[in-house]
Amino acid sequence: MHRLANPARFLRIARWLTPAFLLSGLVLAGLALGWGLTRVAPDHLMGETVRILFIHVPAAWLGMAGWMTIAGASLAELAWRHPLAGIAARAAAVPGAVFTAICLATGSIWGRPTWGTWWVWDGRLTSMLVLLFLYFGYIALADAAAKQGEGRARVAAIFGLVGAINVPIINRSVVWWNSLHQPPSITMGGSSIDASYLVPLLAATLGSSLIFAGVVLARMRALLADQQAEARLRRKAMAAA
Amino acid sequence: MREALDPWNFVIAAFAIGIGGTLAMVAWSWLTMRRAEARRDATRQDRAREL
Amino acid sequence: MLVIALAVLAGAALLAAWALRNQASYFYVPSEIVASPPEPGRAVRLGGMVEKGSLRTQADGVTLMFVVGDGKARVPVRFSGIAPSLFVEGSGVVAEGKMRADGTFVADNLLAKHDENYVPRELEDMDQHQARQVVSETR
Repeated sequence: MHRLANPARFLRIARWLTPAFLLSGLVLAGLALGWGLTRVAPDHLMGETVRILFIHVPAAWLGMAGWMTIAGASLAELAWRHPLAGIAARAAAVPGAVFTAICLATGSIWGRPTWGTWWVWDGRLTSMLVLLFLYFGYIALADAAAKQGEGRARVAAIFGLVGAINVPIINRSVVWWNSLHQPPSITMGGSSIDASYLVPLLAATLGSSLIFAGVVLARMRALLADQQAEARLRRKAMAAA
Repeated sequence: MREALDPWNFVIAAFAIGIGGTLAMVAWSWLTMRRAEARRDATRQDRAREL
Repeated sequence: MLVIALAVLAGAALLAAWALRNQASYFYVPSEIVASPPEPGRAVRLGGMVEKGSLRTQADGVTLMFVVGDGKARVPVRFSGIAPSLFVEGSGVVAEGKMRADGTFVADNLLAKHDENYVPRELEDMDQHQARQVVSETR
């Protein structure tokens, strides 16, 4: 773990890993979505709209996984002062928020023809909307903290850790409360999704996860480069003065 | 009376939002990364007077 | 210090979730409605399964009568309007409306609640054995 902590070593690996993750993810997710759009049979109850599964479920998974990335990296930052951890936490925020927004938008579009409504304030939908607002808050806080330096970064990290409480709430919302959203299809005990849907769904999820990882690496490189450029300009300004 | 909506409108809309949003995010993160690294590399070469 | 602060916050969040547990339900199930009926005229949501064989369309063509059950209790429901396409017997429904004094529920909106099973149409009527046979034949 600490071998990766060195930014120079990280950059050497990320230089080829970023495009590798992005390209493989785009190809895999593209194939899975193409298959899901044209090749699977309509569902027994909801018919053709079942295809939205392949967009909605990976986005929901990455919306939650994104916050767990923020929380894990924030913990590493607070507990071990890991030099790249704060950068990693900030890098996961934008892709996490984008996937959460995609999950909410596609869920709404899916709800209209199946449930008969664009939106309801049930436990699952409400807690997912809370997650999107947590992302907005975290992005604003972390950006402001980065401009003001060291001490403030801890505030964003604590926010990232505390916000993680919402993730198990989202996950359990359909079990704890009567909700319009159905209970989980994939559990520890197995899956109630037919294999003809499950295989492209898992492929789309893996592909989207690779895209997510690639975007996190690209964001980390961008944030690191900004940091290094600003440090150099500051040094030069000091030397000139 | 039961509602009869064309499911394909909804499927296409959801795929457009999902794919469009993901591609826009990938393009944005790649371009900002390239720009940030180019700026850093420019400061690395000793051209402080020109900046 | 930090650990204590986080533990307190986690505890507070769990407490809030616990408190919400019984308040945040989106609808009541029939046995709750029957055990403690809401006063007539108060807007509530009733959720459960549409009993098989209970769905009747009235002579006017837009009024539906059906029974919502949860295995323990059953509530008759009347609805006039357009039902969502997934509203079918043997599947879930959430009805928004009011309880009447005579024990029927008058809904002014229906939402379809489907279950967590995703199965292609052709395989639905087959049992596991037949389905496996089809799959092996198409290989």
